Amino acid sequence: MRDVYLGGAGMTLFGKHPHRSLRDLGREACLEAVRESGVRPGDIQAGYCGNALGPVLQGETGVGQNVFWEIGIHGIPVVNVENACASGSTALREGWMAVAGGFYDLVLIVGVEKSVMPKGTMLNVGAAELETKLGDVFPGYFALTAKKHMEKYGTTREQLARVSVKNHLNGILNPYAQFKKEFTVEEVLNSPTIADPLTLYSCCPNSDGAAAVVLCSEEIARRMDLPRIRVSASVLTTGDYENGADITAWEVEKRAAREAYEMASLGPEDIGVVEVHDAFTICEIIHYEDLGLCPPGEGGRLVEEGATAIGGKIPVNPSGGLLSKGHPVGASGVAQVVEIAMHLRGRAEKRQVEDAKIGLAQIMGGSKEGDTRACTVHILERK
Amino acid sequence: MSNSSKNSSNNTDRGWTPVEEGLFEYPVPSGGQPALLGNRCGSCGRRFFPRRALCPTCVDEGGMEDIRLDRFGVVYACTVVHIPSPAGIRAPYAYGYADIPADNVRVFGLFTGADPFSFHAGQRVEMVLEPLKENEKGQKVIGYKFKPVEEERHI
Repeated sequence: MRDVYLGGAGMTLFGKHPHRSLRDLGREACLEAVRESGVRPGDIQAGYCGNALGPVLQGETGVGQNVFWEIGIHGIPVVNVENACASGSTALREGWMAVAGGFYDLVLIVGVEKSVMPKGTMLNVGAAELETKLGDVFPGYFALTAKKHMEKYGTTREQLARVSVKNHLNGILNPYAQFKKEFTVEEVLNSPTIADPLTLYSCCPNSDGAAAVVLCSEEIARRMDLPRIRVSASVLTTGDYENGADITAWEVEKRAAREAYEMASLGPEDIGVVEVHDAFTICEIIHYEDLGLCPPGEGGRLVEEGATAIGGKIPVNPSGGLLSKGHPVGASGVAQVVEIAMHLRGRAEKRQVEDAKIGLAQIMGGSKEGDTRACTVHILERK
Repeated sequence: MSNSSKNSSNNTDRGWTPVEEGLFEYPVPSGGQPALLGNRCGSCGRRFFPRRALCPTCVDEGGMEDIRLDRFGVVYACTVVHIPSPAGIRAPYAYGYADIPADNVRVFGLFTGADPFSFHAGQRVEMVLEPLKENEKGQKVIGYKFKPVEEERHI
């Protein structure tokens, strides 16, 4: 296995793009990533596309081929990946493996989604699942994890709200973010309840957008006019669906993190900037704990004392996270890496995490039997 | 699959239809109590609901035995949902997980029979069959839910 480097990275504004197609959004992100790499589209040897809902919402399959052809890429292997919220990051890992394994030297990864729903309608995926037929809704399962976390560790509603407050503050500084609006703890707590204890501003929005990155061999990276970043760990794993497990932590995430730290020969104390899957406020608190940024049960206090704010001990979601930047499902995992790259290259402007040398991106997708189907962790290092 | 009940007439005289086949005995045998239908692995003894074709640990073909789950459970976690579900359930409604100690199985389900805001972890509940909603044909769709145990009894 050989080292894999990050080339250029690009993304669209996340938010509502009612008049733009998947291929249109994807093209913008891909073109930016390819141009920043200083390569031509025709140099790309394989393409990987993460998209979760195109077949359901747009009736579009083979999204990757459609997007890549927009910038003239053809005649190469293209793989479409669906892994729920981890679709983009799984596509990234597929590209990483192909370069690490020596199959290709230069690959392009895109994540793209249009998940903004028409007014008055709800996203209804997983309709075939028994839980959904019985009345389950997305925020409900996370509300249950929040209730258990509060019961077990004394985590408070205010601590949950502070995740949203912090991420919205960061989003104001991110030109790519869907929301650029500050909220107080009271405003988060007093917004309409979705599933107790989660309120409207405790939940990420549905969004449209795309993100893309180039991965390459070390030899090609040396020729690029970019600060060099190595992808030191790329891990994908699956839940164990253990019936009756404690739902205040995700075993799948702890395992993914352990494998990633081992692969990179690093520990949580080495990480300078983190992007996590904050689909709901409680998720970010649990991710702190599962990734080893603090001991189990301390996540609420970590955000409360400001440790995860920009300028704190370990900044988490400087992009604004899914809560503020938005969550175009298949794009989010790639966009996290775009954000980490900006920090490691010193290009994150107003939200720049000072001296960030090593970054970690975590995302997971697809609730199943109180567990999660897919979880990825990537670690990137400035070289 | 010998002991599954005869519910091939999924439209009963009341025009109710189960949310999914094979989850519970329906109609409930006269004089009997409703029960969730699970199964257990003949090799390791682990119990499952809904039924699995294979035990994920032993993966022993033909090794699964059908069981009826105990009706009594304990709330593990609960929440009140304030938005309508895409499945057509009107808000607010309570749901969560109930642990069935006799079978060592955790079951997801709606909570019923009390103020939705009154449910709490540790509360004892029993399984009941109740309409969830009406389907597009105007039939009542029946599902299982958990309601508070009204009288003291052994779990």
